[in-house]
Amino acid sequence: MDKIVVVNYDKCIGCRTCETVCSLVHEKRINPSESRINVVKYEEIGANIPVLCQKCEDPACAAVCPMDAIKVDESLGTYIDYTRCVGCKMCILVCPIGGIGLNPANKKVIICDLCKGDPQCVKSCPEQALEYVDVSKLSIKKRREGLEKLAKFLEVAKI
Amino acid sequence: MNGYTNKILFVNLSDNSAGIIPTEKYIEQFVGGRGIAVKLLYELTPKNVDPLGPKNALIIMTGPLTGTIVPSSGRVDVISKSPQTNLLGGSNAGGFFGPELKYAGYDGIVITGRASSKVYIDIYNDDVEVKSAENLSGKGVFDTVKALRKNDEDTQVACIGPAGEKLVNLSGIAFSMRNYAARCGLGAVMGSKNLKAIAVRGTKGLDVAVPDQLKQIADEMRERIKDTPSYKEFPEWHHKLFRVLEADAKTFFGNYDNVLWDGRFEAYENAEKFVKGAELKLQSCFGCPLRCWAYINMKNVGKASAVACQGTLTSIVNFAKIKDFNKVWEAYLLCQDMGLDTGGTSATIAYAMDLYSKGILSKTQVNAINLTFGDGNAFVSLVKKIAGKEGIGELLADGVKKASEKLGEAAKKLAVYAKGGQELWLMEIRPFKGVALSCAVTDSGSHNRAAYGLCEFYYRSMKTQAETVAKNIVGTEEAAQPTRYEYKPKLVAIYEDMHTLADSLGVCSIPFMPVGLDLWTKAYTASTGRETSPKDLMYVAERIRTLERLFNIREGLTRQDDTIAERMFSEPLKEGPWKGEALDKVMFEKMIDEYYALRGWDLTGKPKPETLKRLGLEDTCA
Repeated sequence: MDKIVVVNYDKCIGCRTCETVCSLVHEKRINPSESRINVVKYEEIGANIPVLCQKCEDPACAAVCPMDAIKVDESLGTYIDYTRCVGCKMCILVCPIGGIGLNPANKKVIICDLCKGDPQCVKSCPEQALEYVDVSKLSIKKRREGLEKLAKFLEVAKI
Repeated sequence: MNGYTNKILFVNLSDNSAGIIPTEKYIEQFVGGRGIAVKLLYELTPKNVDPLGPKNALIIMTGPLTGTIVPSSGRVDVISKSPQTNLLGGSNAGGFFGPELKYAGYDGIVITGRASSKVYIDIYNDDVEVKSAENLSGKGVFDTVKALRKNDEDTQVACIGPAGEKLVNLSGIAFSMRNYAARCGLGAVMGSKNLKAIAVRGTKGLDVAVPDQLKQIADEMRERIKDTPSYKEFPEWHHKLFRVLEADAKTFFGNYDNVLWDGRFEAYENAEKFVKGAELKLQSCFGCPLRCWAYINMKNVGKASAVACQGTLTSIVNFAKIKDFNKVWEAYLLCQDMGLDTGGTSATIAYAMDLYSKGILSKTQVNAINLTFGDGNAFVSLVKKIAGKEGIGELLADGVKKASEKLGEAAKKLAVYAKGGQELWLMEIRPFKGVALSCAVTDSGSHNRAAYGLCEFYYRSMKTQAETVAKNIVGTEEAAQPTRYEYKPKLVAIYEDMHTLADSLGVCSIPFMPVGLDLWTKAYTASTGRETSPKDLMYVAERIRTLERLFNIREGLTRQDDTIAERMFSEPLKEGPWKGEALDKVMFEKMIDEYYALRGWDLTGKPKPETLKRLGLEDTCA
């Protein structure tokens, strides 16, 4: 795995543009149910949580697949070999975050393929709530963001 | 045809029958949304139809761009005959209901008849079922939405609150947790059908003609929207909104008799402090980058999403002069939950406060409530009474005009409303001649459905932009000046047509103008595969506006109805930046003459035979 799509939950405005873009790119039609990314909403607490395959290093979906239809590309992570997939949906059951979908039209399992390294949802997100980030820089990025407050405090306190 | 689902769901609640109306035959002439809805209303209802009778039709229509990848495409248009104005009742809502309806396979829903007991319509793709809603009877909007979603927040709900069930004319239709088709008493129409809610979930999706091209156009549109001043300002509007109204000199307070209320800055500061302090998360409707609303969690009062809209949250402060923003928020949540039009309700309560202060309403009549301006508790009590039609609420439930008619001459003189008796949308009208004209000639109620964003609106704060827009549209910068009567008829007619197109294509009117008709046209063609041009679409808009007119004439409208409350003429503004401004009757009538001429209507406001022929409406007799 080189890069993954990182979700900045606090930036998501819940517009679902990522869903329409994803279905259009992959299925040439518009249908959030055919999208590889889905915005899960908890309206009462104001939370919007885009969910998509997190490209696990040790993917449960691949481990459980009885047909070995889920493969792992060194650079783009998990992908589905549709010549082998029989649609048993075991992968959906074991994915810990619900990152695998089922296309209601043809009952095929769908999973983010990072648009072959150029994820269109990231490009279309109006709020940069989605970012395509180098995995090796992921923790340093989160660390810096998380510590911004402390850094500002230290500056003010002139410590 | 691509872009459409080609099916309009027809449900008759009297005999529980359902059917499909093919969208196809209406597309060429009326495009979608508002256009097709008006055509259906004209066709499906008899002359002089009782707005609250079973023969009235309640129509919820999406447009061909609704639910596509195009930005700001979450809109639905709701059309019926209005119980409040007895004319065409139209209101447009955002959110996520429209897209979900299309994904379920329907361009729209038409409801006629009346169920024998309280019901809701449950739609899951091809499965459409009328189910009992007895357990939801009397429930607020928030609980109703929650109950019907059953933990799937992609299920979208259109529903009414207790106010709609009680046939309160000030009631609207809620679309899930916050979006409203608030105006024209459409909640009462839904209530009269014993229809509590419509729940929809769709997984079928939508085919478009040229997907890749549509994506490119949508990307370009999104960029254009991000270049607009609205995009930059909206995240701050939630607390700066009052200042925006002030900057454009649109502010008034109370029952239209006060501009420089000395408590206003304290009220603004309170609002800013509270809204900034509340847990706030910016939100958008379907596919929209604009984030013009937010989730707000006001500690100890309640959490919900609020809209940074000039017409709603602010109207409680402006009309009732309430400084305590905790109370304002409580009142706002209550209006939303009861299913009331917050703007119309605030105007009506301010009117009652004014009458009480002048002794026209007695202490007994107002049920011993301390009905004075600034009293938040009184406001909240009155909202409850209006929603339940209890005590004083019975008198006020149908709005300012109908209340004034029951109270006699002194009360009538103080009443302010727009065409047909609907409360004005929150802004001072007297200096804004274009807006005033728009209120008078529009299809229904106030100007928010016709002249939203008219360049007069922002002349004070963004003069150069307003003048550029005016020059582009009517050829002269002067048209942007609020107090000028000249050029306004043409300006209003073009804005109306643009607005009608936004409502008919199923997209939001806020980004419609800045994005430009050329791109919307391209999006329409890429989505549907149907070739058209901006000129052709404007021609469709003209046809729709004239059909709206024909409907209103059929229901008894005459030129005398194309006006605005008398006080806007007879009572010049006493203070503020527009001191001395009022509407001039002669100039106003001249604007109407000119507007009619532009529309091809005669001096009585009736479309001329040659106009009907030109627009292909000759078979529609008024």
